[in-house]
Amino acid sequence: MATALRIDHISKSYGNRKVLDRVSLEVESGEIHALLGANGAGKSTLIGCLSGAVNPDSGQIIVGEVSHTALTPRQALHAGVAVIYQHFSLVPSLSAADNIFLGEELAVRGVVQARRQVNLAQALLDDIGARVSAKRPVESLTVGERQMVEIAKVMRRKPAVLILDEPTAALGHREAALLAERLEKLRETGTIGIIYVSHLLPEIFRLADKVSVIRDGKIVLESDLRHLSRVDLIAAISGPPKTHTSRNSASPAADQPPSVDTKEPDTRISAHDLKVGAVGPLDLSAASGEIIGIFGLMGSGRTEMLEAMCGIRPIESGELCIQGRPVSLKNPEAALALGVAFVPADRKMRGIWGAMSAGDNVAMPQMTRLSRLGVRNKAREADVFYEVAELTSLSPALYSLHAGSYSGGGQQKLLVGRWLAEGSNVEVVLLDEPTQGIDVGARGDLYDLLRSAARTRGLTAVFTTSDPEEALLLAHRIVVLYQGRIVLDQVTAELTEEQLLDAAHGGPDKDVT
Amino acid sequence: MTTQTLDPVPADFRERRLGRIASVGKLAAGNALAVGVLILCLAFYSQSHLFLSAANIRSIATQSSITLIVAVPACLLLMSGEVDLSVGSTVALSAVVAGLGFTQWQLPIVLAILLGLACGLMVGALNALLVVRFQFSSLIVTLGSLSLVRGIAEGIGPNPIYNFPVGFVKFGNGTWLGIPYLTLVAAVVTLLGGFYLALSPTGKHVRALGVSKDAAFLSGIGVRRLTVLLFVATGFAAGLGGILTAARLGSSPSSTAGLNLELDVLTAVLLGGTTFGGGKGTVRGTVLGVVFLVALQSGLTIQNVAPAWSTAAKGTALMAAALLNFISVRRQSAYS
Repeated sequence: MATALRIDHISKSYGNRKVLDRVSLEVESGEIHALLGANGAGKSTLIGCLSGAVNPDSGQIIVGEVSHTALTPRQALHAGVAVIYQHFSLVPSLSAADNIFLGEELAVRGVVQARRQVNLAQALLDDIGARVSAKRPVESLTVGERQMVEIAKVMRRKPAVLILDEPTAALGHREAALLAERLEKLRETGTIGIIYVSHLLPEIFRLADKVSVIRDGKIVLESDLRHLSRVDLIAAISGPPKTHTSRNSASPAADQPPSVDTKEPDTRISAHDLKVGAVGPLDLSAASGEIIGIFGLMGSGRTEMLEAMCGIRPIESGELCIQGRPVSLKNPEAALALGVAFVPADRKMRGIWGAMSAGDNVAMPQMTRLSRLGVRNKAREADVFYEVAELTSLSPALYSLHAGSYSGGGQQKLLVGRWLAEGSNVEVVLLDEPTQGIDVGARGDLYDLLRSAARTRGLTAVFTTSDPEEALLLAHRIVVLYQGRIVLDQVTAELTEEQLLDAAHGGPDKDVT
Repeated sequence: MTTQTLDPVPADFRERRLGRIASVGKLAAGNALAVGVLILCLAFYSQSHLFLSAANIRSIATQSSITLIVAVPACLLLMSGEVDLSVGSTVALSAVVAGLGFTQWQLPIVLAILLGLACGLMVGALNALLVVRFQFSSLIVTLGSLSLVRGIAEGIGPNPIYNFPVGFVKFGNGTWLGIPYLTLVAAVVTLLGGFYLALSPTGKHVRALGVSKDAAFLSGIGVRRLTVLLFVATGFAAGLGGILTAARLGSSPSSTAGLNLELDVLTAVLLGGTTFGGGKGTVRGTVLGVVFLVALQSGLTIQNVAPAWSTAAKGTALMAAALLNFISVRRQSAYS
């Protein structure tokens, strides 16, 4: 097999901080090479070096036969490096075809050959097995379909290397499986090397041939995946064990489903025959101290369900009760007044205030409560921040650092932790895909946080997930949604991963993948 | 520059020096406008000592006052991510309504003033309704009310109204310990705005709205309520501006009162470092922005520069500020 890409002793520092330390990596054509590492380990910088977004200080990038010391984005594109980011670069109002040819329209004498573009774009989409019409505007596509358009777009240049940065983070299980199939097809052609960045180990084990683990800017493991176990990988990602409880939860020893509370619990929030758009009717009830996982594919209605429970989406029919009382919520503010808080999936856009300090982000919803006579009490706000930082093992625990500068895991800790501070009236937290794009360590911290809050202060948590492992690991009870209906509602201890996947696909009979 | 610096001492040293330069730069950048105002004043003073005479300073203060009264809430509104272009027209409407109240309708002074203020509140409420209830862009909504309100003002008061109560006009032109009453009102508005922004919980929420409305909504912040409050406050301030304009002029010219005020206000607010998309800004910057514009105009007038050129100078100042900001942002991101 030919070498598609060779990275030779790449280093990069920002100020005193060495982000990449003589990193070398080799990817062959027809290989899927997994790149693993905790947030902040240097993955993004490494990918930035390849895509031309970051200038390495030293070292070489060899694509095919040509060696480069640094790439501009344009050079990277021409050299044959294609990157698919977590956040797509598509223009929503344009069609798939227009997006695929954006900036390089096929034109004759200044007139765009629209029909030819559509035909060629359709061919590219068909080639990668995407069932998407090239004429459809991108805004009408699902996230998975958008990703296919993005891949079709880069495949137009027949790249030597395709880099996917957490490609399944925004996908449901079925779409993720579809993507995996497409990538396997691409691998079979033997003409392209694929670098696959992900936090999800089952994916890695399913797809990848080789794996490199990066930690603190160094490659700490490079090996054939065959010789490795889950435990090896987690050990390599998280480094030498620290005396830290959260690590336990990421290790297989703690992969036991949590025990069910046998005490008589009081129902905190419940839905009866709830209808939200095409979703429902749904019945659900969550007691104090209970953690409920809503498992389902993208488009199964899990987000709609969650958003209806906190006043973001209007409820068409049915009843929502909080603390046993029927309520009609106008907005999240009204939900919050009744002790129900929401943590959105789109952290960057809808969750944090990136340009504001971490302290402000934590204190913001409670500033009024913390204030006296209409004047903010900054000392109490700081107390709350440090309390949350300790509660969530936030690192770095810097009050005035912009929230946007924190890693995904840090941002999520700010968003979840702020509802759990002392004196907060929140008794129910609804979390949409809470660990999406978050590294193993922070994931463990978040699990610990929710578990201990459920145990000690009787917090009720309802979360959605597309990771069956996560559902089994964290939830006391799991609800599976399929096409807007609840198809399974059981105590976790009685469930297996296979059962969940089966149910989420509508049972073995209805599986159309 | 390679990263494999073997000797840590010079690297450290360089780091510290870089840090110091950056922080000096930051200090200057943070107070660029204050420095600008200072330089402007010294430059004009060197040309003509009249510029810093008590009379001229009082004149600058008076001229700044009404703009500032409107600019402070407009600054908060812009920080929350919305804009109000109707303030100049609202000034006219409020002045006309109060003027008609004094003269044609023979109302008691206080009632006429309250009527003018109510007009401001109503325009603010209308803008808020359209923006909040129907999710229209505030640029479009207030562009509409800019014409609508000016039209109404000119319609109900086609001719300049005058013969106002003596006490009312005296207030508009009088001083207390040498300070114009208008400036005292402006100072109160500024302090209220500044303290609100710096100290109150919802003052912080104003910024949060500008940075991400979605995040604010999902965090349970009353986004709509706050937006309404800011529009209504801006409308009310414009109404107050109208009353004070009438008091200062002793008349209510519907076609010239508050004309182009929205542009002066917006220029001053942006000059003061508030970003157009919201999220960033200070009341202090807005005060400096207003003073800068008025001082610029006053200085050029003393130098006998035609008014057309002082308008051009205002525009140049805004563009130069944008350019300076661009350069300093790029510098800072290069360090980080």
